[in-house]
This record gives sequence, structure tokens and C-alpha cells, in this order.
Amino acid sequence: MYVIETKDLSKVYDNGAVPVHAVNGVDLNIEDDEFTAIVGPSGSGKTTLLNMVGGLDSPTAGTIVVNGKDLSRMRENELINFRLNHIGFVFQSYNLIPVLTAKENTEFIMLLQKRPKKERDARVLSLLKEVGLSDKINKKPSELSGGQQQRVAVARALAAKPDFVLADEPTANLDSKSATNLLNIMARLNKEEGTTFIFSTHDQRVIDRARRVITLEDGKIVKDITQN
Amino acid sequence: MLIKISWRNIWRHKLRSAVVITAIALGLWAGVFIMGFYFGIIEQKINDVVRSEVSHIQIHHPDYKKEDFNINYFIPDGLTISEDLSVDTLVQYTSGRVISMGMIGSAKANSGVRIIGIDPEVEALLTGIDNKVIEGAFFKGVKRNAILVGQKLATKLNIKVRSKVVLTFQHINGEITAAAFRVAGIFKTLNTTYDESNVYVNNKEFRKLVGENITYHEIAILLKEHEYVDTAAEKYKGLYPGLLVEDWLEIVPLMRYMTDMMDQVMLIFMLIIMLALMFGIVNTMLMAVLERTRELGMLMAIGMNKFRLFNMILLETLILAMVGGLIGLILGYITIEYYAVKGIDVGIFSAAYESVGFSTKVFPQLEARYYIQTALQVVILSIFASLYPGRKALKLKPVEAIRKI
Amino acid sequence: MLLKLAWRNLWRNKRRTLITMASVLFAALLAIFMMGLKEGSYSNMIENIAGVYTGYMQVHKEGYWAEQTLNNSLEFTDSLKEILLEEPRLKGYAPRVESFVLTSSREFTKGAMIVGTDPEMEDQLIGLKKKLIAGSYFHEDERSVLMGEGLADYLKLTTGDTLVIIGQGYRGINAVAKYPIKGLLKFGSPELTKTLVYLPLKEAQWLFGLESRLTSIVLLPEDPGNTERISRRLKKRISGDYEVMTWKELLPELDQMIESDRAEGYIFMGILYVIISFGIFGTVLMMLAERKHEFGVLVAIGMKRLKLSFMVFMEVVIISILGAMAGMVASFPLVLWFKLNPIRFGDELNEIYEEFGFEPIFTTSTDPAIFLTQSVIVFILASVISIYVFINLSGMKAIDAMRS
Repeated sequence: MYVIETKDLSKVYDNGAVPVHAVNGVDLNIEDDEFTAIVGPSGSGKTTLLNMVGGLDSPTAGTIVVNGKDLSRMRENELINFRLNHIGFVFQSYNLIPVLTAKENTEFIMLLQKRPKKERDARVLSLLKEVGLSDKINKKPSELSGGQQQRVAVARALAAKPDFVLADEPTANLDSKSATNLLNIMARLNKEEGTTFIFSTHDQRVIDRARRVITLEDGKIVKDITQN
Repeated sequence: MLIKISWRNIWRHKLRSAVVITAIALGLWAGVFIMGFYFGIIEQKINDVVRSEVSHIQIHHPDYKKEDFNINYFIPDGLTISEDLSVDTLVQYTSGRVISMGMIGSAKANSGVRIIGIDPEVEALLTGIDNKVIEGAFFKGVKRNAILVGQKLATKLNIKVRSKVVLTFQHINGEITAAAFRVAGIFKTLNTTYDESNVYVNNKEFRKLVGENITYHEIAILLKEHEYVDTAAEKYKGLYPGLLVEDWLEIVPLMRYMTDMMDQVMLIFMLIIMLALMFGIVNTMLMAVLERTRELGMLMAIGMNKFRLFNMILLETLILAMVGGLIGLILGYITIEYYAVKGIDVGIFSAAYESVGFSTKVFPQLEARYYIQTALQVVILSIFASLYPGRKALKLKPVEAIRKI
Repeated sequence: MLLKLAWRNLWRNKRRTLITMASVLFAALLAIFMMGLKEGSYSNMIENIAGVYTGYMQVHKEGYWAEQTLNNSLEFTDSLKEILLEEPRLKGYAPRVESFVLTSSREFTKGAMIVGTDPEMEDQLIGLKKKLIAGSYFHEDERSVLMGEGLADYLKLTTGDTLVIIGQGYRGINAVAKYPIKGLLKFGSPELTKTLVYLPLKEAQWLFGLESRLTSIVLLPEDPGNTERISRRLKKRISGDYEVMTWKELLPELDQMIESDRAEGYIFMGILYVIISFGIFGTVLMMLAERKHEFGVLVAIGMKRLKLSFMVFMEVVIISILGAMAGMVASFPLVLWFKLNPIRFGDELNEIYEEFGFEPIFTTSTDPAIFLTQSVIVFILASVISIYVFINLSGMKAIDAMRS
């Protein structure tokens, strides 16, 4: 079964004279374990597509099914809940709650899920170890570098054991070393945890590391390459 | 966890939060202290009224008051009743009085007075009037027709101890009578108006002048415990169905009104203060929400639902208000307790206060329930204040709040 | 130029500006309404007691007030009359003979205050005719009384009945007489209604053996506000033989009651404004914080810090003054309504007021001073708060600010 399956997914904006087909009848299937990059120039509909995949926006037509559940039919509250339990997010910036430590930030998701303390503690420590920040668990975001913050974001994204992780330009604000480091971690986690990673990116380093590259243009998929 | 986040969020802008907290603390401190001030005044007044003026229970002829204190309406069997009451189990002290409206005249002036004939020993026990004598003696030093005059009246009539005065009043048979009295002592109560309009003479002597068959016009009773009032009133109403038996609240309903009215006034007063505070709180929380749109959007994206988000805003508002509120209440408590012992001197307004029987030294006091009430009001205030900023937070769409994917 | 900038800057954050203004509006509105109510009731009280009974000013023989006996009565000499007539701001005067007596009906006796006065002058002074609620008004040659309804009720008398008066006259003579009751009076003050009995002056002088003497001359100023001034002038001219007293000296309890109540009002107002000030200060903090970068730029390109501070100061002042003015405008209909439609209280409140001798009525004063005071207070507050602005901006380094 596919983790993500969209059929004829469309988003049309009717802002004036001419309706804009941001996403135009896209059929997309993503499987478990994928390490996939979505690329495309601005206006390609990449953003809109991934917003819908992430349950942040609703389609005007078509369906989007994640692990058997149809997102297009969900109301806002259901979507929020779904995101909590099934989707992990790594944004370009502003990932973390500024007043919480790395440990607390990672734990936050699990608290929202009401998981018991023992489970939370164990998983948080283990994840932060995976991303190489065991010695920084009590530091607040203001005390961490950009790269370190993104690593915590990854730990946080995975803490909830999501079906997949959506990473939006995660390396955009990082220097080379941090960027590579981050990618390595995510690749490793992808292999070890088996979690699907979907990137939206312009960063060539990310594209090169991806095993599948999907290119969008004018709201449609124009290229779908498997590599590596 | 939300509490932890909310608490820390407040301190992201230390100065801004401190300003709001200080405002709330000051507002509540002032409010609470003023409540204590006025309740202190009233409490004192009530104690004084019961102890020195009205006692717990009074008994009259049923038509005495209706007939405007006509001396004809004295209590039948008044002497017997007074005796019985003095040995009643509930009664601490009781005193009977012969009362007549009249005029007092000195060489210099006249004035209208209420002439109260008392049994000095017994009356002193009941109202402590002997302690209020500031010049001369309480019915000592003058052999016959002694009279006790209030300081304000004495000044008005330009008389002093051992001065001679003439009392003019109506005998029970209708004739106007006058008699000479000599000032044995001058008294001063908390109420200058009272001092100006009441004089004390000896019961037995007064009866000879105003009507031998008069028993008492008024029997006043001080109970052993304040709490006995209702029981005692019922008991005596039952024992003397033909008489007018009243408890102090019935005699001076003003006292209850004062307390009730003060409750209401204070409520409005605190409400106004809270409303004034609300503007500042709303403004601050609004800013706190609007400057964090990206963060809030992110929270919604990763799965924090609207209910929790609103709760976070609400908690921030609440904590802000409660910190300020707590400080304010504690400050209020400390100052009230301090002045409850030391007293606040409002002597510059002495003429006004004394004319209506308020002491010029105020001892603030506030029952615990008012602190609790105020704290609750702060909680409700916070909830209301958080509504608008909370709404703003909820209206955010995570998509617009964060950079698009 | 700066003003235009300041104005436009305010509206960049419309919500915050409006909320802050609203808070000032709230405080100003409340302050005006509350003080309006208080001042209204003070004027009412003063008028009802001072205006009607003691008058705004009185002239006595020197030493009368300390010892209020008929033996201290005065002679209304021509020279005194001249001095009074010369006083420009006096609307009129009324000669009086006042003494405490016992009044009696067949069954009842009660103390009362006799006011012997010239019927026409007294009416001019206090509108005595309007207080008549039964019977008819008397004239100067009559030998009849007008009495307070409260007293008549107690004695169970009414118009047409006879009132017996027993008192002490000049040099100790007996003052005893009977008079028909020509009319009943009702005053705003319940206390007065239970105590006063009016007698034509000539009759009172005869009753007390005073011949042409008086106990007091009540003076009416054209404008009650001039009372102090007139009193001072007169004191200079006639003290020694005579004493001049204003109502405040005659009724210190009333004066103090008003003063203490007024003080309470100011305290409450003060609390409100302090709270609001914190709100304004908070707004200032937010304004400074969020525009740090912009300010840095302005200073960098050459705007003097002082000028910048002044611009922000203007913003603060505009918010505050506009709020205060809005409060003034909003309060006006409210205050006006209560002035024209004074509310009378329900029973319990009624009793409390009457117990203290006041008319139970809720009315307001439209004295412009009350309104304008708010703007002044608010301006001062805004200025004090803005000191922080000057301090904060004077210490700002442009480069650091631009890094925000």
C-alpha cells in the first residue's frame, strides 16, 4: 500500500477574472521508505501540492489518501489531529518553541499525543542521541546554532512516529557543513526507522541525495526519476 | 506542559509583562485596601451602635413609636418585665428608661432634647455610658436632680459641671412642666449629634416629675452572645405578645442597608478597576499573539489543535493576571492588617465623621471571603480579556502563518 | 511635519492605538461622570441646607455664633445697611430672629426653631413661597405661622389649627404665645421640614422682646461661587462689631462631609488614572520595541534623537488627548441627562440619605471645569510617561538598533 496516494488532485484559485490551476489533476504515489525530493520553479504548484499532502490545505477536486485515510474529506479539527499523529514537519525556520529546551521541544509532540512519561523520556533521549545532540538536551533554541536547531526539529518530527516527514527547504539557511550533516542524519533515520521523507527543495545537495526526484511544472508532474 | 510554556512565554518580554503585572497589583491593592477601609468603618459603627446606643433587643409599648414617642405609651408591667429579664439566661444586661421629649435651657440658650431617665448603675453596665463621661462624674457629686449633658450641648448652652439648667417637658396629664437640674457630668460619645440631643437624668426623680405611674418607655437588652439575637428575639416576642419586641436590625435597619449597600458599591468599584485593567491586559496579549503568528502557525501545523491553542493564550493571560493579582492581594492584606492595629486617623474630617457617629480613627478590616471574591473576579477578568487575543490566534491559518512548502 | 508623521504612525497599528485610546476614554468618562454626580449632589445639598436655611452668608453681632442667645442680638443700624447695600455682588439680604423654642399642640410637645423673618425678603432670598405645600403665605403684619410639615405631623396639627410656642426671650423674659397655622412648608432637607417654624419678623421681635434687634442677617450673593470673596470684603469693613460667616463656617459638618466625599472621589479617580497610565506605558514600550530598526535607520540617516523622541512624544500625547476628548464627548449626554432628569432613589437608599439629612436625589453638575480637568490630567500623565521615551532613545545606538 502506498503511504500517500493522490488521484486527480487539483487546487483552483478563483481570485478574479481567470481561475488559476495551481495544481492540476495530479496523480502521485509515495511508498514506504522513500527518500524523495519534489522540485520545480516558483509557480509550479510544488508548494500548493505539498500543503495539501501535509493536510495544511484542502483540494478543490480529487482525493488525497494517506495510509488509507482520505484527507480531502476531513474537517479542520480532524486535519489537525491527523497531522499530529501521522505527519512530521521540518520547516525552513521557526521550527522550535523558543521557550522550550531541545528535550522539551522534542517531547512536546508526544505530550500532545498524551503518551506516558516513560515512553516519552526514552524516545526523546534516543532521538536526540541519533541526531547527535545528547549533550545539548537542556539548551534552548537561542543557545543552539542553526544546524543544531534543525536537528532538533528532525528529532521532533520523528518523535510522534509519523507516517512520513515533510521537510520544507530544511537546508536553506545552513552552511555546507551543517547542511551535509543534517542530510546524513535524515538519510540514516530514513534507513533505520523506515520513515518516508519528502523534501521540497532547491538545494542541489538534497536533490543529489534523494532516491526519487519528482519535478512539477504548471501544476502537473512532468518528471519522475528514480536514482541512486 | 501548557502551563510551563505559558509561564515562560510571559517572561519573553520582561519589561512589558512587568508593566501589566504592576498595574494589576497596584489596582488590586488599592481596591482591596479601600474595601477594608470602608468595611472597617461600618464594622466599628455597628459595634458601637449595638454596644452604646441600641443594644441587642429593645422592648416598647406597641404604639410608642407610631405615636411619635408620646409619653403616654409606656410599657405596662414594665417594672416586672425588667426584673424578669435581668435574670433571664440569655441576658447579659438590661436597663429600663423613662423618656420624654423636651427642652433644656441654660442662662444662655435653649435647645431641644430627648430626656432619658435611667437607673445609673444598670445603664452603665448596659451601654458603658459612664466611660464616656469626660468631665465631672457619672451621677455623683450632685445630690438631687442630677443631669448628664453631652459635650456638644454643653458648649452650645455654655454650661459646665455644677451649672444649673431647666428642663421643660410635658407631664403625662398634659401640663407643661419645668424643673431645675444640676449638671453632674458631661459626656462625649462617638456621635456629636447624639451628644447634642440627649440628656440623662435619674429614673426615679424623673418619674416624680413626669408621671408617677409611668413604668418604662423602653427596655433595652444586651445579650450574653451576639449570636443569641434571633433566639432571644423570638423568645421575648413569645413571652410578651402584647409588646413591641425588636432586635437591633429592626430598630436601625440602616445598619443592614449600610452593609448591603457597601457590598454593592464595592462590587461596582472593583468592577470598574478591573475594566480599567482589562484594556492593558488585552493590548499586551494581543501584541503577544500578533508577534508570534509564525510560531503559532507552526504549532497548529505540527498538530496543536484549536482548543489547546486557545488554552495556551488563556493560560498566559491568566498567569499574568494572577501574578499581579496575588501580589496585589498580599500587599492589600499586609497593609490592612497593619492599619487594623495602628488605625488610620481621618481627624481632618472629624466634624463630619463625628456628626454621623463615625469614629475618626478607622481600623480597616476585611473578611477572607472578599479576598477570595476578588481573586475570582481576576480569573473571570482574565477569561474575558483572553477572548479577543485568543480569537485572533485561532483565526490564523497555519498555511499563511508559516512559509509555504 | 512632525505632527503629520506622528499622526500617521499611530494608525500603523490601528488596533493597539484604538485600545489604548479606549482605555483613556473609559477613565475620562468615568471620572467625569463620577465627579459630575458628586458635584451635582454637593450643589444640591448646599442649596438645600445652606441656601435654604442658613443662607450662603450671615452677619451676626460679634460673638453670637459662639453663644447663640438672644442676648447677643444685633442692631441693624443704618451704617450696616449701607455697607450691605454697597456690596455689588449681593443679590439681597434678609433680617432674621432665630431662637429655639418648645412647640406644643393639645397632646404633643416638640422642640422647634423659630425663624422670624420678613416674608417678602425671605421669599426673595430662598423662595420660601415655593416651599408652601398647604395653606397660604403670610405677610409682615400678620400674627400667624408657617411651619414645616414634618413638625405639624408630629404635633398632629394642620392649617387652621393653633400652635403654642414656649420659649425664652431677650434678657430672660418668658416668650409664650399662640398662633394660627397659616400654611405648611416642605423643604428638600427632611431635617428642616421637621424643625422650622416661620413667624413674621415684627411678631418674632415682639414675642422675644427684641424690639428692633435681630439675631442674624442672611446674605444672598448673586453667584454662590463668590461667597468667599464677598465674605472677605465684608469682614474687612465690619469685623469688630459684627462677625461675617460663610456657610462653611456655619455648617462645618456639611462642609467637611462634602470635602471628605470629594477627596474620596479624587482618590478613586487617581487609582483609575494610575492604572490607565500603566496601560499607556505598556503601549509605549511596544511601540519602541517594534520600531527599533526603523528608529535606528532614521537616526543613521541624520534625524536628531531629540526630534525623534519628540515625534514619539507627540504620538503618546495624541493618543491620550484624543482618548480624553472622546471621553468628554461621550460623557456629555450622560451628564446632561442626569442633570435634567435627576433620579430619586428607591426606599432603602432613601432612608439612608434622609437619616443623614439629605435629599435622596441623583443629579449632576455640568461645570466645564470637570470636563477640562481630565484633559489636563491626561496630558500631564502622557508627558511623564514620555520621559521614558526620551531616555530610551537618547541611549540608542543606531547600528545596534538596525540589527533588530
